[in-house]
Amino acid sequence: MAVRAQFENSNEVGVFSRLTNSYAVVAIGASENFYSVFEAELQDVIPICHATIAGTRIVGRLTAGNRNGLLVPTTTTDQELQHLRNTLPDSVKIQRIEERLSALGNVICCNDHVALIHPDLERETEEMYYPHHYYSLIADVLGVEVFRQTIADNVLTGSYMALSNQGGIVHPKTSIRDQDELSSLLQVPLVAGSVNRGSAVVGAGMVVNDWLAVTGLDTTATELSVIESVFRLGEMGPRGAGMGNANKESIVESFY
Amino acid sequence: MATESSIAEELLKRPLYVYDLPQELLATLSAKSEDDAINTPDDAVITPEKADDAGQEYAVATSTSCALCSVSFLNVQEQRDHVRSDHHRYNLKAQLRGNPTLNEIQFSKAVGELDESISGSESSSEEDEDDGTQLTALLKRQAKISQTCEEEDAPSKKRAGKHPLLWLSSSILPSNTSLGVYRALFSDVEQEEPRYLADSLRKKQLAPINIPRNNGQTQGPSASASPHVFLCMIGGGHFAAMIVALAPEIYRKQGGVDERQARVIAHKTFHRYTTRRKQGGSQSANDAAKGAAHSAGSSLRRYNEAALEKEIRELLSEWRKMIDDAQLLFVRATGSTNRRILFGQYDGQVLKQNDPRLRGFPFSTRRATQGELMRCFKELTRVKVSQIDEAALAAAAAKQREETSKPSTPRPQQQKPKVSKEDEAAMLHTTQIQALIRRSKIPALMSYLQKNSIPSSFTFHPADSQQNFRCPTSLHFASNLNSPAMVSALLTKVGADPTTVNGEGRTPFELAGDRATRDAFRVARHELGESKWNWDAAKVPSAISKADVDNRAERERKVAEEEEKSRRKTELHRLKMEDAAKEALQAKRSGGRALGSVEKTASEKREEEMRGMTPEMRMRLERERRARAAEERIKRMQGN
Repeated sequence: MAVRAQFENSNEVGVFSRLTNSYAVVAIGASENFYSVFEAELQDVIPICHATIAGTRIVGRLTAGNRNGLLVPTTTTDQELQHLRNTLPDSVKIQRIEERLSALGNVICCNDHVALIHPDLERETEEMYYPHHYYSLIADVLGVEVFRQTIADNVLTGSYMALSNQGGIVHPKTSIRDQDELSSLLQVPLVAGSVNRGSAVVGAGMVVNDWLAVTGLDTTATELSVIESVFRLGEMGPRGAGMGNANKESIVESFY
Repeated sequence: MATESSIAEELLKRPLYVYDLPQELLATLSAKSEDDAINTPDDAVITPEKADDAGQEYAVATSTSCALCSVSFLNVQEQRDHVRSDHHRYNLKAQLRGNPTLNEIQFSKAVGELDESISGSESSSEEDEDDGTQLTALLKRQAKISQTCEEEDAPSKKRAGKHPLLWLSSSILPSNTSLGVYRALFSDVEQEEPRYLADSLRKKQLAPINIPRNNGQTQGPSASASPHVFLCMIGGGHFAAMIVALAPEIYRKQGGVDERQARVIAHKTFHRYTTRRKQGGSQSANDAAKGAAHSAGSSLRRYNEAALEKEIRELLSEWRKMIDDAQLLFVRATGSTNRRILFGQYDGQVLKQNDPRLRGFPFSTRRATQGELMRCFKELTRVKVSQIDEAALAAAAAKQREETSKPSTPRPQQQKPKVSKEDEAAMLHTTQIQALIRRSKIPALMSYLQKNSIPSSFTFHPADSQQNFRCPTSLHFASNLNSPAMVSALLTKVGADPTTVNGEGRTPFELAGDRATRDAFRVARHELGESKWNWDAAKVPSAISKADVDNRAERERKVAEEEEKSRRKTELHRLKMEDAAKEALQAKRSGGRALGSVEKTASEKREEEMRGMTPEMRMRLERERRARAAEERIKRMQGN
């Protein structure tokens, strides 16, 4: 289901949280309203980690992750890393990355199978050479195939694209041809759209996993319906398809 | 017509092999004049390979394509491989930088130009290792090219050497289609007779060897006897050599399709680690330049260089018979080290520097590998098909010529009108006079004016320059420079007119910047008399004698001295007062005694020293002291 939330009067939900199929990370110090949106959907399903990254609350922009792993920038402190390690499931690999482009959430966009990354991301980040074989950081930690791409000529793939295993939303000005190519590359349906009443930064304006999308409070009903349909949120629940209950709630939610 | 064009299409559909051209085409071939071929735009040359690609692109109309690199793919896996490829990454970065993107062929060409520096064999794992550096190198190079491309364009057009391709036309082909064959395939004699090119091409034709599908393994008995060519490349520790038969093999595939293949009689590659990583260059070159290095790597490379040379020479002598029989020898060996390995003087030398069969590759080649040799052979022996509308080309050339001639026409108008002789002389005088005034050379100026009989009313030339607008006469100029001596000399000795005005309507007096110069004018008014000039028009104030000026100066000097004296006096007084005040303050302060600095008695000092010591230490110290006191006493007694 798709719900709206606000982080301290900001609509950019994707800046302050990271949502995957096996965990969620939210910034500390928000109102209980914000947390309860996540808790209502995720409690007892996946862990919700209240964290900071490098002492900041923009956890969504600084990290990149999916079901298999979480990448954090080199500025993350040891305590923060330890806290993440303690909170997230053991199956999730956590890796601190030495990378000049430290806002990993802006430069990496991934679901559980593929990742689109900034063309200038260092090669060592994409893959490290160990004697006799390549050890790929992104590919190994996240378990994805990595492609260097741009979205509507924007290098910040993580900012301009929201992606789940079911579908994806790209920058509203992405050409049809680019959409088709990306869709074929990622093997998920894509749509060009906006969130938060016309904001083009779809990656930063929302978070999404296979059964939940959280967008900013300003998101219009039309935008929300596009999101629900492309991410197929009506059909899926945390425990499989066809949760009638969740469906009903989402309808009421989008009414107000 | 329709049948004719269909025949042509049929002919050109398959790649044409130089040594096995279709009969009907061969019969109608004729050489073209060279001039036509030279102005061929490169992109008009279509090899059949490229045409195939184009066909594919139309056929597959799914989204598994890459608009950026303008390629399409059969399936998603291919698309994904492409997105990960260097080509795509290069184009992505090029697009972001605003550089033009390259298609596959252009990209491989660009990489090929870099390839000389890349090492390792062609195994896929090592290829990957190279990729990153290759891409960055290419991007860097591209940046350089885009900077210098405007400068380079013009001269490169001029130096058109021998064109590597010789062009032929055929009557059965459309008039705009011409066939290109590499010049290197013809012997020196044949190249010199361009009219008989077609004939010599006809003579070169060889019957293909038919090989049945089931026993393709069997080698022809006269493998080395059939006409063949030798190709070899050496560079950066890589060596590849190949002997290829010119007569093509024809395999009959299922469905009756003939498959033509080149028959490789022998091939061999060596790869040795000889080039210095990161620094570049061979070890021997570095040794020669800087003296032998003693690192482990250097000795490895030295050994490898020697081993490579030995292996290559052994291989060449092994192939001696075939190489001697070969029709042509294509060799790529750049650099003296590489050439020495092949052509250097040694016992049983196989390749000779002055061999008339020796050829270079007339196109850029990549790292020496077997695959690259095969590509080069195919490239060499494939007939290039060029389709150019010559009328359109001529029109384009004419248009270009017109455009280049256009901007040259308005130029003459901008040219300055011819300078007359008088003006030239005036300009010369101007510079001379100005220089003399600037350096205050009064006698020199006098003699110059006298010698050239320049009137006192001479105005500087050209009048419209900024300086001459403000200072049109020498008097103006001198006044503006605040040169009183020059001003008085000009007024009294030369008789310069002080009433002339400059472009701003000012007299020389008004340009004077200091009192001395102004006084020079007033003194001149006094000396020359009121009737000489209309001094009021010259804005010069009342006359004043030289003596008056001096008196005034004297007076002023005295006043200033007086002032200075009094000032000094007051200053001294002030200082004295200050010192006194300071002393008084100090005296006041020294009344009390500082708390910390109370004199201590000897016993107190001793006490202090002993404080905090252990009893034993204290005893020892005490004993020492007593001993010292006793010594002192004894000394004193002896002294007495």
